[in-house]
Amino acid sequence: MLRLGTKPEYMREMELDDIFLSRLQLLVIMAKAYLNQYPLGEFRQRSILENAALVQIDAAGLAEEATALEVDDPDTSAMDFEPVFYQRIKLLTVMAEAFAKGHSLEDHKREALEHNLESICEAITFRKKLSEMQFLKVA
Amino acid sequence: MREVAIIANVKIAVIDEDVVVRDFVVSTLMYSVNRNVVAFDNGFDAWVHFEESGFPDVVVADVNLQEIDGLTLTSRIKQVQPKTIVALFSDAPQNENAAKEHGADVFMAKPFGVNELFNLVQSFVVEPYPSENEKAES
Repeated sequence: MLRLGTKPEYMREMELDDIFLSRLQLLVIMAKAYLNQYPLGEFRQRSILENAALVQIDAAGLAEEATALEVDDPDTSAMDFEPVFYQRIKLLTVMAEAFAKGHSLEDHKREALEHNLESICEAITFRKKLSEMQFLKVA
Repeated sequence: MREVAIIANVKIAVIDEDVVVRDFVVSTLMYSVNRNVVAFDNGFDAWVHFEESGFPDVVVADVNLQEIDGLTLTSRIKQVQPKTIVALFSDAPQNENAAKEHGADVFMAKPFGVNELFNLVQSFVVEPYPSENEKAES
């Protein structure tokens, strides 16, 4: 039997944050596949549109939460992300809807998509800013 | 890297009471294989559908299901259609051995993400695409 997923000691129910980050990861993969000209298809198109719509709804809710938390406490924000991060996600969902519907992305739009993906991936990978990781400044 | 192909007309079913998890699994698998993926919120409805419409190639189910739980469903599927791949997921470590005993092919420990589902597809839903030489030989 093949075993996949979390180690036994870390097993737990999946929360909404887990699903949001997984769906966001899926959306990034969908966009990268598009940029690499991987083939689409009826069900892939449907999946992209559904995923983009759900990520957009979740991101809107989390953006409101992040803004509210930032006002209450500048050191805390929803899921440790800044409000602008959710605007980038919203932009990605709009871009994904466009390419799933077959609208061609001209060169400058492709560049914008690539730049947006880079920023989102960096934020997902590094929740803390590089400048906050003081230990990297010492040898 | 060797080219691969998705098994022709592969049929996949996802069963989970939790609509949020179920829809995420469906989205990821549907995107991966570019085929329709059927979904159910309980084991009984899934079983009735399988008996009436034929068994899928891959079943991805939660262990905790209403009416017919994931472990019982796995045993039933394996009795009738042993070739069907069954992947069970759970948040309880003790269900891993139970899944194995009931004949599951895959155990997915929660929380899992896109990578685990891609791994499932890579392991059971794609096959090597024959090279021109292999085609000529066959």
